[in-house]
Amino acid sequence: MRLVENRAGSERALIGLILLEIAIFAVTGPNFFSAANAFEVVRLGVELGLLALALTPVIVTGGIDLSVGSMMGLCAVVFGYLWRDLHFPIAVAAACTLLAGLAGGALNAIVITRFGGAPLIVTLGTYSLFRGIAEGLTRGVDNFSQFPASFLYLGQGYLGGILPAQAPVFLLFGAFYWLLLHRSIYGRAIRAIGFAAEGARWAGIPVNRRLALVYTLSGFTAAVASLIYVAHLGQARSDAGTGYELLAITAVVLGGTEIMGGRGSIWGTLLGLSAIVVLQNGLRVSAFPAELAGILTSAILVATIAIGKLQWRAAPVSEGIEEDEMKNSQLAVLSAVILAGSLIVAGSNWWLVQSVRPGSMPTGAAPATATKRYTLAVMPKAKGDPYFVSCRAGAEEAAKQLGADLIWDGPTDLDPAKQNEVVEAWITRGVEAISVAVVNAPGLSTVLRKARAKGIKVLTWDADAEPDARDYFVNQATPEGIGETLADEANRIMGGEGDFAIITGALTAANQNEWIKFIKARIVAKYPRLNLITIRPSDDDRNRAFSEAQTLMKVYPKMKLIMAISAPAVPGAAEAVKQSGRKDVKVTGLSLPNMCKPYVKAGIAESVVLWNTGNLGYLVVQASEMAAEGTLKPGVTSIEAGRLGRIGIDGSQVVLGKPLVFTRANIDQYDF
Amino acid sequence: MNLLEARGIEKRYGGVRALKHVSFDLRAGEVHAIVGENGAGKSTLIRILTGAVQADAGTVTLDGQTLLHNSPHRSRQLGIAAIYQQPAIFPDLTVAENIALVNEPGGLLRRIDWQARRATAKELLDAIGADIEPERIAGTLSMPEQQIVEIAKALGGNVRVLILDEPTASLTERETKKLFGIIARLRERGAGIVYISHRLEELSRIADRITVLRDGETIDTRQAAEVDVRTLIRLMAGRDLSAVFPKREVPIGEPVLRVNGLHCAEAGIRNITFEVRAGEILGFAGLVGAGRTQLAETLFGLTPPESGTISIAGQAIEIRKPEDAIRAGIAYVPEDRRRHGIVGELPVRANSTLAILNRIASGPLLQMAAERTLAESWVAKLGVKTDGIDAPANSLSGGNQQKVAIARWIATEPRVLILDEPTQGIDVGAKAECHRIMCDLAEAGLAIVMISSELAEILGMSDRVAVMRGGEITGISGRSEATAESILGMALPA
Amino acid sequence: MKSRAIAIGIFWAALLAVLAWRAPGFFEFANLRDIAVTNAPALIVAMGMTVVIIAGQIDVSVGSQFAVASVLAGTLAKAGVPLPLTALLTAFAGMLFGCLNGALVTALGVPSIVATLAAMAFWRELLRWYTQGAWVQGLPAGFQWMGLGQAQGEFAILTATVLLFAALVRAMRNLQAGRAVYAIGSQRESARLAGIPVNGISFGVFMLLGALTGLAALLDSVRFSEVQSSAGAGLELKAISAVVIGGTSITGGKGNLWGTLLGASVLAVIAPALTFLGINAFWEKAIQGGIILGAIVLERVTSQRRSK
Repeated sequence: MRLVENRAGSERALIGLILLEIAIFAVTGPNFFSAANAFEVVRLGVELGLLALALTPVIVTGGIDLSVGSMMGLCAVVFGYLWRDLHFPIAVAAACTLLAGLAGGALNAIVITRFGGAPLIVTLGTYSLFRGIAEGLTRGVDNFSQFPASFLYLGQGYLGGILPAQAPVFLLFGAFYWLLLHRSIYGRAIRAIGFAAEGARWAGIPVNRRLALVYTLSGFTAAVASLIYVAHLGQARSDAGTGYELLAITAVVLGGTEIMGGRGSIWGTLLGLSAIVVLQNGLRVSAFPAELAGILTSAILVATIAIGKLQWRAAPVSEGIEEDEMKNSQLAVLSAVILAGSLIVAGSNWWLVQSVRPGSMPTGAAPATATKRYTLAVMPKAKGDPYFVSCRAGAEEAAKQLGADLIWDGPTDLDPAKQNEVVEAWITRGVEAISVAVVNAPGLSTVLRKARAKGIKVLTWDADAEPDARDYFVNQATPEGIGETLADEANRIMGGEGDFAIITGALTAANQNEWIKFIKARIVAKYPRLNLITIRPSDDDRNRAFSEAQTLMKVYPKMKLIMAISAPAVPGAAEAVKQSGRKDVKVTGLSLPNMCKPYVKAGIAESVVLWNTGNLGYLVVQASEMAAEGTLKPGVTSIEAGRLGRIGIDGSQVVLGKPLVFTRANIDQYDF
Repeated sequence: MNLLEARGIEKRYGGVRALKHVSFDLRAGEVHAIVGENGAGKSTLIRILTGAVQADAGTVTLDGQTLLHNSPHRSRQLGIAAIYQQPAIFPDLTVAENIALVNEPGGLLRRIDWQARRATAKELLDAIGADIEPERIAGTLSMPEQQIVEIAKALGGNVRVLILDEPTASLTERETKKLFGIIARLRERGAGIVYISHRLEELSRIADRITVLRDGETIDTRQAAEVDVRTLIRLMAGRDLSAVFPKREVPIGEPVLRVNGLHCAEAGIRNITFEVRAGEILGFAGLVGAGRTQLAETLFGLTPPESGTISIAGQAIEIRKPEDAIRAGIAYVPEDRRRHGIVGELPVRANSTLAILNRIASGPLLQMAAERTLAESWVAKLGVKTDGIDAPANSLSGGNQQKVAIARWIATEPRVLILDEPTQGIDVGAKAECHRIMCDLAEAGLAIVMISSELAEILGMSDRVAVMRGGEITGISGRSEATAESILGMALPA
Repeated sequence: MKSRAIAIGIFWAALLAVLAWRAPGFFEFANLRDIAVTNAPALIVAMGMTVVIIAGQIDVSVGSQFAVASVLAGTLAKAGVPLPLTALLTAFAGMLFGCLNGALVTALGVPSIVATLAAMAFWRELLRWYTQGAWVQGLPAGFQWMGLGQAQGEFAILTATVLLFAALVRAMRNLQAGRAVYAIGSQRESARLAGIPVNGISFGVFMLLGALTGLAALLDSVRFSEVQSSAGAGLELKAISAVVIGGTSITGGKGNLWGTLLGASVLAVIAPALTFLGINAFWEKAIQGGIILGAIVLERVTSQRRSK
């Protein structure tokens, strides 16, 4: 029985870890240690948590389900389609979506049990299949939004003004899965299968039926997660839940569930989930780089498991795991969780008192003598994107000139849900101004409104949110302007007629789809002899754009121009043209001048369209400082923006200017 | 000087002392047999000799050199080869490769000569007169064929000590003769052979000396020529045979299980017809691979039959899956206890109730208290020695694990209980208790099918004995007619 | 498992037939060459993955390893390190990543899927933190095509891939080490009894995959004049899919590199084939997933038919 203690030991270690996280972030993250933030953490964890709950019994059987994230995408699309296009009542649409989840889970179950596929492979297949169907159904573009408020309440509302509305759903599922795994005959069978599938079969357990149950339930739960996700973001797109499967698996394994099956508990999963979610939230509230989350999570994961294994070796007595040892270990867990919860609530009162004091200092910096030192938070769409990296330089320059504290953070990949989380963290932290390059307007507007309600100035840049969700939009160029400039360039390069193809970023990228819309409109209106032959995705990968361009040139030998509208796609396409040796195909598009310089100079890329990204970042910070200090307010028609000089204000838009067209003649003047 | 010598070997597994100060020696050119009941420690001893398991105390010497840090690989290089009961093959590789991987010398960067590999394999297989294609995938071989590959493998190296654990259990007479020929040649070359067998009668043909192990202790070493089978059995059991089998005569009732013309190609059984009556113990004898376990698995729904009828108490039933069998009142305590009989990591409590989950639940939810009560009562009834019902099943000794496995199936309140090798690998005391339980169950009116490879057990416990060979029943005889000779006659290939 | 490769082979032949009928231009030398050059690096990674999976392990961190190795190659070249040395160091770095995975799996006993899942996030985020998404630009002229010029550079990449493939096929078939990989994947305990260094081989396969990934990253990078820092996204799934489609058993012991070549070819052809056939790109992922599921179902159906 020694290892029972060890397991409790590893649970204790996890609780210790969570408490340590809380302790550290309570110091580093302003307002981290508050009741409101505690509930926010709960909200953030729900979708991921549902997947982790569903995966726990799956992994306990010794299987795995990689398709849950894709399932969310498919369900989101199905839901949106039923509601908007088929005009189903929202409840019926939701019910049908849950059925779709069941069906998807059943597909996994059938191929695994009837056709004997290994779960890893089968769900790897459905991982692509579900996402692929979602993209195919929506052509990648469609974006369902404007759901009724009563539905959005599920993801955005508060019960009694404080408890996130999705929390009860999560609790319900938590209780359900706990009963299933720890208190039901199914759970007992699942555990026996995980330890010894043959042994279970020889005991007369219907192994295939039990396996089918967990995979089907997993699909169903993913559907529930997807509904909450849609309600949370206010929009349904085929990219919902991208990458969630890996994080959910991480949570389950971190919680002590053995990947080979048999051992595992819902308690452990909840603890693993908490450790991850608290870590992510804490890092954001503390304005630590987002990349740290992944690095620390993986380090913790390996450390926990390695320690567990070493303990195994130290005490190689077989273990009496079981559902039912509620007794000591789980009581300890329970009481510790309650203790931690009450600590947070109790502590929050103290922070509340602190924060209502006039002139509270969010970063803890000493008040400046003459002017106040503002904390300005700026979020790119995705942190690693070279375009936004080049914006950051200008932003930092401005912050330095202004003597402001700049927080530059955001998700590492395009993900509206994560943008939400970062904004939430900033609200909790308490900053003066938030500026966001919005991945998805309906998905982010709610939380931006919340920020405004808390007295934070909200600006958007690069791409706008819904107008009432922000104070100002720093407009580098309208989608219309970009689309028209690109169409004009295409017309100029092609000499007024001929075929051209577009290589876009991801098929689901809202920005690019918007530009394509205006490109098409402009061509119809002004250049009827230009012919757009096809649109191919590049997934924002230079190499993928390269091979797409190669293929396009062969399939469409008369094509005269490739228009690449994702920053890495332009050099990719240009390199393909260069390597083909073709002189009759040109490249243009939207990209960074530095990336494209060799190709522009070689005359392969005739031109590259973009605004001055450094200036954009600079202007964003300038404008948000002024908004924070109140000099940028309704009625102002222009501002003095440092080295940019006088910038006009058009209503609630701060306009940077027209896009630049970089050509061989001028590209050397720009360095970004 | 002795070729191989083991002195004062001690080995513990958890709480069980598997070997107690065991000593053993082997001279060059001799065949030294080790006999003992299942669980006497024979397998552990040979695993220590080959380095597959490390002894807790004691020394093993080869040519007077102490073997330190012994490993299977090292002992192999020194010329100690072993054939275990469970073939250690690579199921996805060819026969030739299975033989070569163990025998060919040299490092990982050595090039493989496939021609030579095949030729060597062919040669070795021919030498034992086995008709196995070297190119076949080992996983597709039958158990006896795999055993033959193991023998070929062991002969491939430059063997000085060859350890054979039940090599003839699944061999035909022809193959056995070939094997004895090979053994004779090896001893002429000066190799020593450690020979473990349950077929006591063949020892006089092959062995020079016989060492008897009982309960992990060396009981005696005798010249083979000087002992008869009866003496050996007495030494092995530590008492007279009759005392070992507490068979009680109970009234035999109506037929419960009736099987008629059962066929199953997947299981390899043909034309099976027999019946078992309430209170009766029907023993199934035969060689390993004769189809007895396959028959049991077919009756239990693991390999559904293609044709033939099964009826319980006169009622025809169809069995497609284990649930059907359980519903019909058939329970099956399987042969491979660790893989099928129990789920080792689950506690005793969960193991004992795994087949009756529905009965300890209200709706889908388990009634924990009811389960505990039930499990406690079984532990008490069968006298399972455990730290408590929450102890993991694999922390128990083999005999107690077996009792848990039996408890699981008695709990289903079956009408027919199939016991497959019920006392394999458990100690004498536990064995007697298992037999007592069987008698109690028969007395309670169960029809019992007992599959056993131990002739003494078959003869001692059965009311009638059915013998199988090659997937068919070759004869059924009553308790009074069945003798060791008659059973062997029907079991061995003509 | 052979039947899975056969099922895929049938699909593959059908796809080629449709292409030959609807878009004969697909079979032009230049197109086939371009597809081959573009997919050679992924094939090299899939080759290493085959060995890892045959050994009964898995590695989902190759995409991240690939990205780190690419940036490393670019950074070294930019710093003026001669190209042969850059290649060597890149492969060596990849090997070290593989060693880390191998150590987690063999020394600490972390299941490989968990260990490499952690490594995947770790390397990717570390790289993102370090580069902040910036590309390695301004590489010396001799970097692209290893200074050989395009035609010869392409030839060199293909030659290197073919040589590696041939060497690995031979090693897996004719070297004791290769057979030991099959042996431990087939039956670990038997392998231990046979004196095969099980932990050593397990460690070795991760090391090999790491080195191949490093090399693949280099061969991929030299096709361009700049190195992107987000390379290799999704590479792990592509490689695993290629291996599995090719009929290698995910539980180890069975499979071969020819199957992987087939699997990688199928995956490589889908995207260009869709363009050639004028099919919308939106369905590409669905088709990929469908192929994997179809292979599993077909495998079962054909093997049942055969056994009857």
